[in-house]
Amino acid sequence: MSTVLSRVAERAYWLGRYLERGDATARLVAVNGNLLMDLPGREALGWQPLIDITGATALFEALYGPDAEASERQVCRFMTTETRHPGSLVSSLTGVRENARNIRQAMPRVTFEYINELHLFARSALAAASSRLRRAEALEGISRRIQQLEGFLSQNMLHDAHWDLLRLGNYIERADMTTRIIDMRTADLFASHHDLAPFEDIQWRSILRASFAMQSYNAAVREPVVASRALDFLFKDRRLPRSYLRCLQGARRSLRTLPRHAEPLRLCDRAIRLIERTDVARLASGGMGGMVDDGARGGSGTSGALTAFVDRCQRQIAALHDAVAQTYFGYDDGR
Amino acid sequence: MTIDWRRYRCEGLFDELVLPNGDARPGAGRLLAALARFTAEEIRERKTAAELAIRAMGITFTVYDDGANIDREWPFDIVPRLILNHEWDRIAWGLEQRVRALNAFIDDVYHHGRALRDGVVPKDYVLGSREYRPRCVGVDPPHGVWCHVCGSDLVRDADGKLYVLEDNLRVPSGVSYMLENRAVMKRVLPELFEDYRIRPVDDYPARLAACLRSLAPAGDGRPRIAVLTPGIYNSAYFEHAYLAREMAADLVEGSDLVVGDDDVVYLRTIGGPERVDVIYRRVDDLFLDPDAFRPDSVLGVPGLVRAWQAGKVALANAPGCGVADDKVIYTYVPDIIRYYLGEEPLLANVPSYRCAEKPQRDYVLDNLEALVVKPANESGGYGLVVGPHASRKEREEVARRIRAEPRNYMAQPMLTLSAAPTLVGNNAVEPRHLDLRPFVLSGEDVHVTTGGLTRVALRKGSTVVNSSQGGGSKDTWVVDPE
Repeated sequence: MSTVLSRVAERAYWLGRYLERGDATARLVAVNGNLLMDLPGREALGWQPLIDITGATALFEALYGPDAEASERQVCRFMTTETRHPGSLVSSLTGVRENARNIRQAMPRVTFEYINELHLFARSALAAASSRLRRAEALEGISRRIQQLEGFLSQNMLHDAHWDLLRLGNYIERADMTTRIIDMRTADLFASHHDLAPFEDIQWRSILRASFAMQSYNAAVREPVVASRALDFLFKDRRLPRSYLRCLQGARRSLRTLPRHAEPLRLCDRAIRLIERTDVARLASGGMGGMVDDGARGGSGTSGALTAFVDRCQRQIAALHDAVAQTYFGYDDGR
Repeated sequence: MTIDWRRYRCEGLFDELVLPNGDARPGAGRLLAALARFTAEEIRERKTAAELAIRAMGITFTVYDDGANIDREWPFDIVPRLILNHEWDRIAWGLEQRVRALNAFIDDVYHHGRALRDGVVPKDYVLGSREYRPRCVGVDPPHGVWCHVCGSDLVRDADGKLYVLEDNLRVPSGVSYMLENRAVMKRVLPELFEDYRIRPVDDYPARLAACLRSLAPAGDGRPRIAVLTPGIYNSAYFEHAYLAREMAADLVEGSDLVVGDDDVVYLRTIGGPERVDVIYRRVDDLFLDPDAFRPDSVLGVPGLVRAWQAGKVALANAPGCGVADDKVIYTYVPDIIRYYLGEEPLLANVPSYRCAEKPQRDYVLDNLEALVVKPANESGGYGLVVGPHASRKEREEVARRIRAEPRNYMAQPMLTLSAAPTLVGNNAVEPRHLDLRPFVLSGEDVHVTTGGLTRVALRKGSTVVNSSQGGGSKDTWVVDPE
């Protein structure tokens, strides 16, 4: 097999995306639970942001009724076991399984067994996750299994075009997720909750944790967690494997080994240029703290600039995805 | 408790390993003795190891159950089935002879129809078969071969006589399980291999690839082969993926292929369209090409049959080859062998009655409770009525259908399928009925697998060997007598 079929390419790419999305979702739910325990006035922040992060507020209301309360229980269900929510953890894991089935022959034979095991574990662990302790264990277990699976593939799968497409999906999903996490926390929360200002660092810690970057931040930055530093770290640090810039650079590397890459590569380079040229720390320099002091609202001031920037990044990621789909998945195949 | 062969009872049937008096058949002595040396604990261990190996190797088949597709692990029995070398060679010759004659017949049907003119097979039987494809008339597939992969089912009756039960010429499956069964046995019961020289089976993917390459249109000598599958929900998807991987071929679905204005078939790849030369298709004729056959087929590739007719791509098996797979045409195979090859058939057909012929039909209608009635064009046991097990109502219903459409039915006496010792529970062995599906490859040359897939009915007394209905399988050893 010298090249990869377009249909299979799409599956490999989505396998990469769903693996990453499952991992991120598990971590987000776990981190949010942790965060709320540290904050006063939990009801003010609550669980609603998790729904917003996946852009699924309308679906949440459609499924549970317009007056449905974004309670811990309900949101956790929505984000983990709800099969009708395409952004839920189980939906991502189903996506992993279905896409993997279709590219079975491109991966080591035992891979599918690991994926089955992940599925079985997730199903039974989440079903039993009624208490916070059990939920934390289940989420941690799922996240760990996904990362082990990715590690296994990285070390044992043939690094051919299937692999490049899988990695491309990984990176694009991760870049997208990083911007979503930052976006939600900046735009929405502090703007409307003045009383939370003293807890800003806790917020940023949770964002770093959600990106698996807390420990790295401490080791690399060696300074207290403040918005400007944290943003700069998450967006641009070349040492952080999950930083937005590193994701784009990874996507670029994968694209370069794939054929016919001119258009997606152009868009990827454009996104890299944007992030390299932008002084992210300065976008946040007035910071959310400043904004809270001013009594300003979201959508104006420096936080507004950050939000606009994050939007722009997300549009670039979406454009990159579209170009990948157009080029490799045969959507515009003239034949 | 270990296996005690003196307590094994197989009266009234032909057992492949054990004689009615409890002694081993020629060649089976070492196997029975070796199995008897295991303790109950060891047998349990090996059985569990086999199950684990099957799971770890991902050997599954897909069944449609309660509205969902489920991958089941392949049920496997660790007691192998033996066939002696000299008997196997005779069977292999018989299969080769049969497939050569069938290919000559199919080629004749779509060209001059000599056999039909000469009255060997009634013309209206052939032209009226649901598997006859007028689109195929005049097409010249390479080497005059239409059926490249044939999976005939062989059975033995109570007296030990071997019969061809049916020829599966369209998209026969099971060969991957034959290969995997051997791999599992080597892993789980390596000791048994020390006592025997067992003919290997694992050259099959290479043979299949060579067969397919021999069909390629002239090119650079490095033809590109694709395995066309209906997709992951097909019960044999495991096999399609397995063979594609072993042959280093592309595993494709209909949507992956596109036929150009030049009648060439292309793969849609990330690098753009790439030519494919040979397609081992595991999709039924009628779903191959919506332009040629069923217009509602979403599995198919528009223009594929046109490309095949133009000689730009080879299809294995060729469309239309199922005409010789018709259960009524089957009854003429011995005559077909004599007609085209001028030889006596080496393998027997099961005696069969054609319902379209009045004296035979009358016999069938009078003896329904003793016969198995088969529709002409179904496979996988569908539509089959087993007289002795059928209710009065079912027999009346089939009699009505026979009278309405006699051409579409044939009947055969009930055979008592042979059996072999099979592990039941953890350490008991009991006889279970089985059959054998060898695979015959035809391209430039003909090749027959050594042995084949032994399917076994795991339920006591059952003769249903299909995996979807409680059947399992055994490794099949072709060995020296002693």
